[in-house]
Amino acid sequence: MELVEYNAAARLINSYGIKSIESKYVKSAGEAVAFSKGRKIVLKAISNKALHKSKAGLIKIDLLSVQEIEGAFRDLQKRAKKFAPYKIIAQKMADKGIEIIVGGREDAQFGKLLLLGLGGIYVETFRDFALRVCPITQFDAKQMISQLRSKKVVTYSGKSEKILEGLLLKASRLLAENKLSELDLNPVIIREDGYDVVDIRILK
Amino acid sequence: MAARKNMDLRPMLKPKSVAIIGASNTPGKVGHIILNNYIEEGYQGRLYPINKDGGTILGLYAYKSVLDVREKIDLAVIAVPAMVVPLVLEECGKARVKSVVVISGGFAEVGNVELQKKIVAIAQKYSMPMLGPNCLGVMDPRSRIDTMFLPTYKLSKPKVGGVSFVSQSGAVGSTVLDLIAKEGFGLSKFISYGNAAHVDEVDILEYLMNDDETEVVIIYIEGAKRGREFFEIGKKLSKKKPVIVIKGGMTEAGAAAAHSHTASLAGSHEAYEAVFRQCGFAIAKDLDDLLYFGKAFATEPAPKGNRVAVITNGGGTGVLTTDAIYSAGLRMAEFGPQAQRALRKIMPMTVNVRNPLDLVGDADKKRYEDALGVIAQDKNIDMLIVIALFQTPGADESLAERLVEFKSASEKPMVVISAGSQYTQERVAFMENAGLPVYDSPAAAANSLAELLKYAKYKSGIAD
Repeated sequence: MELVEYNAAARLINSYGIKSIESKYVKSAGEAVAFSKGRKIVLKAISNKALHKSKAGLIKIDLLSVQEIEGAFRDLQKRAKKFAPYKIIAQKMADKGIEIIVGGREDAQFGKLLLLGLGGIYVETFRDFALRVCPITQFDAKQMISQLRSKKVVTYSGKSEKILEGLLLKASRLLAENKLSELDLNPVIIREDGYDVVDIRILK
Repeated sequence: MAARKNMDLRPMLKPKSVAIIGASNTPGKVGHIILNNYIEEGYQGRLYPINKDGGTILGLYAYKSVLDVREKIDLAVIAVPAMVVPLVLEECGKARVKSVVVISGGFAEVGNVELQKKIVAIAQKYSMPMLGPNCLGVMDPRSRIDTMFLPTYKLSKPKVGGVSFVSQSGAVGSTVLDLIAKEGFGLSKFISYGNAAHVDEVDILEYLMNDDETEVVIIYIEGAKRGREFFEIGKKLSKKKPVIVIKGGMTEAGAAAAHSHTASLAGSHEAYEAVFRQCGFAIAKDLDDLLYFGKAFATEPAPKGNRVAVITNGGGTGVLTTDAIYSAGLRMAEFGPQAQRALRKIMPMTVNVRNPLDLVGDADKKRYEDALGVIAQDKNIDMLIVIALFQTPGADESLAERLVEFKSASEKPMVVISAGSQYTQERVAFMENAGLPVYDSPAAAANSLAELLKYAKYKSGIAD
């Protein structure tokens, strides 16, 4: 299995109407500062060898000042050494919201599966997720959401529920129509006014 | 999805003539039991015992080969040693037998994959649907066929009804059949398909979907051979009739080498559960659930909503039932003002008019009757749980009879909770045989009603 390069993965999800958060590979702290333009950013080191970026300390968030960005860049370079080769990517910092995971995989028995779960660091602790075979219907999307124990956390309003339904239907189409073995949009930050796909991981 | 060609199971389940290959005069042998069962069940079609030595078996002329039978054979039941099966099957093909059930074991399940491939090739060559091998075969109480090699005196056979039961495992199959008979709900078809070498679960579900005698389908499955087709037929099937499923092997280890969070969460077990949910199946976690849900679906109409009324002659059991109703995702109905007034008028002062309606310990048939009469008319109630504790002085067989009568007139789902030993069990058996589901625990009753509602919503496309 092969990890799809970040920009290519972002283009793929974009082509199904799923927005990815603004991001850019940066080769130096200076480039990261230039990307920031005075906004809060995130820096991440990406490597085939690290599945858990946060556990490996490969994510630096909430970076605003030049000093913060430069310090974080240097620290990432140090930590990422053992995962070489690696690249560093700068992303706009997402607004606050609820972290969820939307994912999928190819199942030998049933074909493509779509997953929705409470995201972030809780995924594996609570194992609160819903699964369906692709392609899903709107009814399936609604049922996936209502099946979550954390439903009231994930969609605390009718608005965010609608947004999530739409996202699930798009992800289902993406999975059904493409040859890929695993997909993680994790986390997706969902809010009243929309969502941000903060990390993408596609394995072909 | 079109039916697979040459997979028509009708000749297997509604045969006008049956050959028992491997029929034997020796009591206890599989070929003896099967033939004897056909005779005892009163099978009305033509019966041909086949035995390589010929002679007379159980009073019937025995042929040495199916090729010697001049009449058309709809079904051949094969119970000979595995090594002989290819030869016998070839003869069936030449004799243009319309369908076969291979009871014999000794194929892929013990590693004899080649031998199994060989018999599948023969079945395909002659376009002969083959059930098994390594199975109990089929049972249809309407056509009085029963290919099972289980002595009739050891297994209570269910009465004729609308529930069809499909089981990959023969052992689970026969146990559940026996229990279905005990629970008093009727059977349409039993199909134990063993190794699924030729006819598989998808073919069977497709047949049952179009079978007018089948109203409810129960499936015991360990693994679907054609996953995607299973999913497609499952969705279509449950739009027509309710399906209850239990899966063996739910605890198998998930994907070993996952590269993503999704893959590490969603293993094979989770995939099956997803398919069942998406198909709108009621998922039974054990055999108890299977029977609980089964009898509710077998007799109850679709509920219109989630509001339950509880009538009881025991306060504590009423409270426990209230808890079970909320745990199952249902809720307690609030009696309408008219019903409240009417109840206040006819109930003794010892009875509090609220839900659960506690008729108190001295309630008799009459008091239940009065309460039920009012509650049945109340539009604020979607489902009914009647608790009848037969340990109390007023509750006797006349109450059981009255509940059964009331049930047959009720348009709302209605179930009973009765727990106890011998005296109670006799009343329970009476009610169940009359088509009134009885549960021994509040949770079983509430969960079963919740499954009825879930299915009704699925069928009409209402999301939770």
